Formats: sequence, structure tokens, C-alpha cells
Amino acid sequence: MADEAHLRALLLKGLAGEEAAHRAFLTEAAALLRGFFRNRLRGRAEDAEDLVQETLVALHTRRDSYDPNYPLTAWVFAIARYRLIDFLRRAKHRNHASLDGGMDIGEIDPDYAASDAKRDLNTLLARLPDKQQAAIRLVKLEEKSVKEAAEETGFSESDIKISIHRGMKTLMRLIGEASPT
Amino acid sequence: MKTEHLIDMLARGVEPAERPRWAARVGVTLLVGLVVAVALVAISLGVRPDIGVARMPVMMKAMFAAAAAAVMLPLAIQLMKPGRPLGWRLGAVGVFVAIAVIATMTALMGEDAARRMEAWTGGGFPWCLVLVPILAAPTAALLTWTMRAFAPTQLTMTGAAIGGLSGGIGAMAYSMYCPIDSVAFVTTWYVLAIAICAVLGAALGARVLRW
Repeated sequence: MADEAHLRALLLKGLAGEEAAHRAFLTEAAALLRGFFRNRLRGRAEDAEDLVQETLVALHTRRDSYDPNYPLTAWVFAIARYRLIDFLRRAKHRNHASLDGGMDIGEIDPDYAASDAKRDLNTLLARLPDKQQAAIRLVKLEEKSVKEAAEETGFSESDIKISIHRGMKTLMRLIGEASPT
Repeated sequence: MKTEHLIDMLARGVEPAERPRWAARVGVTLLVGLVVAVALVAISLGVRPDIGVARMPVMMKAMFAAAAAAVMLPLAIQLMKPGRPLGWRLGAVGVFVAIAVIATMTALMGEDAARRMEAWTGGGFPWCLVLVPILAAPTAALLTWTMRAFAPTQLTMTGAAIGGLSGGIGAMAYSMYCPIDSVAFVTTWYVLAIAICAVLGAALGARVLRW
């Protein structure tokens, strides 16, 4: 279990723009969150993983809402609890909407990768404008530099950066909103 | 989607976070809300005609409403960011209500028995119960919008705090119209009007503050 001071240092470095620290923070936070959600959604590992991802997005997009005067884990779990309540509310609405109201998802395939959530990145990406899609695919998924992406698509570098920025914003919103069923 | 992929996407090329200027944003929001409420009073209700001679009681009422808003403000601000305990900020609201109750009783005891009822009810329906929430609505809407840019996680409590804070602002504007200057009237019905705003805010909070 990651300790408070260590995680806090990682987040603060991430806030200053250190990519490695931010990645480490998100990775360790993901482990904490996985435990939190699996405990509360027993037998629904996929839902738990959906929530891990939603919460990671919230931690990332709202990272400036961390107040350094208070414990970091309190901040992480306040957001996790919020996402959980939101999820349960949405699940209730879904059940009301469907006639049989069944939430039975059947046997969980033991081989199913533990860290896989139901929502599909490609489906979400497909909802973005072409230019933003291309920019995100090239830079964020295919690990190309902004310069390479610009050369490949024929857009300017600042164009690519803006497209990534806007596209990621929309994508984050979609991950937070989409009911992954 | 694998969580590792998501983390990778989020982390790659991360830039320094902006420091949101929350104090300035909340301040501007409250100021705009107050101006809108005052304009609403001036246009629809009309400033009381004897405002010239009644400057003192109008000031006192506006100050009382401002005090109510000031008591709600730390609570609302604390709720903007996740994981912060409320502590004394909730207690402050309780203390304010207690002071209002004591002030009401003291003022009523100082009145003649015959005039006591009128001093308390203002001799009619206390319209502030309806008008203060209406005047508070623009501020509440603006505050909700501002708040959603941050990360409130206790939506019902945040809604109540926004409601109470907006209620205080609405009551400040209302005091320019309110024709009744009795202390017991103000300490009872203004507080109740603001409480109604807080209850409405709590009821709507979970729906309008979602992010």
C-alpha cells in the first residue's frame, strides 16, 4: 500500500508538470482505487474497473482541486466515493428503465484481464472530430512526437497540440458520462 | 480499455497544472449576483419610497443579511475541493442561528405585550419568504456554475451552502424594498427565508452540481 507522503510528493511533482511523477501517481492511485471499488462491488470486477478509470480521469482533470493543506488520500477517496455514489445512482436509473431490471452479468470469465474495463476506447474516440481523433491516436496512442504527427497529417504543430487538448477534454467528459453497458 | 492505456494517455505530455484563482472567481460571482438582485428589486419591486429617512434601518438589515452570507461563505468554499473536513464552518452557521434566535427573543421581550405580535410578524404575510429565494436564484445559478468548475463531492451539503449563501445575497438586495424595520421580524423571517434557500439548494444539489 502506497503511503500518504510518497503519493503526495508524486502528485505535487505531477502538478508541476513532471510526466514520470504524474504517471507514477496515477498508477499507484489506480491500485488503491481498485481495492476500494472491489471491496464495495464484490463480484463485479468489470464495474469496479470502470470506476477505477472514471476516478483516474477525475483525479487527472481535477488535479488542481487538491488542497495541499489536507491529506492527499482524503482527497483521492472523497473523489472515489463521489464516483461510486454517482455510479450507483446511474445503475438504479438503468434498472428502472429496463423491463426485467436484470443486472445479471453472468459468470465472470477468470481469464478476462483484470484491468480491462467494459468501455472501449475506440468507440469513444470515434465520437470525436476526425482531426482530434487523428492527433490523439498518433501522439497519445502511437507514441509519436507532435512534430511527427504534424508531418504525417499535414497540420501545423500548434494545430496538433490544440486538437489533442480539445479532444482529450471531450474524451474525459465522455468517460465520465458514458454508462459503460 | 486497459487501465494502463488510460494512465498512459493521461500522463503523456502532461503540462503544469493551472492554479485556479478560486477566491477571485467566487468574489466576482457573488458581486455579479448581488448587482443582479439589486437591479431586480429596483425594476420589479421598487426601492422603498422613504429610503432617504430609513437609511439606517435599511443599512442594518442589509448588514444582517451580509453577515448571514459571510457565515455561509467559509462552508461553501470548503466544499469546493474534495476531502476537506467542515469542522467549525458548520458550527459557525449554528452559532449565527442561535444569535438570531436570542436577538428575536430579546427584541420581543422589550416590546409592549400588545404590539409584540405585530413586531414579530410585521402585521401580514412575511413576503420575504417568497421574494428572498427569487432574488437569490440568479446568485445561486451563477455559484452553481462556478462551483462545478471545481470539484464538490458532497453535493447535498454543497447545494445547501450555495443556497444559504445566495439567500444572504438575495436578502441584502431585498432589504432595500422591505418596509418592515422591526428587529424581531428581520431576525426571524430573514433567517427563515435564507433557510428556505438552503433547503431548496440541498434538494437540487445532487442534480445540478454533478460533474
